[in-house]
Amino acid sequence: MSLVDKPRHGYALLKDIDALSNGRVRLSTGTLYGALRRLLEEMWIERFAQEDTSREKQAYRLTAAGRRQLRLELDRMRQLTRAGTARLRAREA
Amino acid sequence: MRQAYEILLRLYPRDFRASFTAEMLTAFDSSAHERRAMGRSAYLRFALAELASLVVGAGKEWSAKFKTDRSLRGRSLPDRLMMRPPGVPWEAYYGNTLVKAPESALPREVMEAQRRAALLVELIVHAIAHHDFEGARTYSYQERQAREYLRLLREKYKCWSDTWPSA
Repeated sequence: MSLVDKPRHGYALLKDIDALSNGRVRLSTGTLYGALRRLLEEMWIERFAQEDTSREKQAYRLTAAGRRQLRLELDRMRQLTRAGTARLRAREA
Repeated sequence: MRQAYEILLRLYPRDFRASFTAEMLTAFDSSAHERRAMGRSAYLRFALAELASLVVGAGKEWSAKFKTDRSLRGRSLPDRLMMRPPGVPWEAYYGNTLVKAPESALPREVMEAQRRAALLVELIVHAIAHHDFEGARTYSYQERQAREYLRLLREKYKCWSDTWPSA
């Protein structure tokens, strides 16, 4: 989700995930790069060459397939929260 | 601390290290700098979490390396020059029943198409080596077209790959 608006490199991703989750999720570099490797293999993200890109600061961006997958995942979560809320309301009523 | 981080990075599979070590070190340095400014205990917590995640992450990467599909396991593209060309029966290709023909014996059109396909493979490899994946995809598309054209030419002239049928 961090890559939706613009390409980001590793440290920027860590900061963004921290901010997105209001500080609840602080990924370690090992976890982050394991996830990036999986997403690259699934072709949901790709490496992106920026003007100042070096081997140490590689940026990543979402691919069309990744964007589609994110939309599906968000739909699934929306459906789940809707169902959960409906059940909670029914129980409280 | 950085030294310990670098040592633990060696636990990862070689292909993973080749792709991510430099980036991981940069991200670790930036995070460490930030946490150091937050105080000693914050830095210590961060360092322990990082080192533990490397040990766990390395185990997961080795496990993923053996669990993923064989085509992805090596995390490199197959050598297309080693693949059986389309239109050549596998018995003939692997049974070595085709003999190599001198290039001059091939029709000029076929020779040129072969050279173009080979050049495009080189361009794909070069683009991947320089992380130009968009370029690699473009060359790959052109190479598929070139191979298809080559296949049609081979059918037209009744010659396959860079070989002639021996019988």
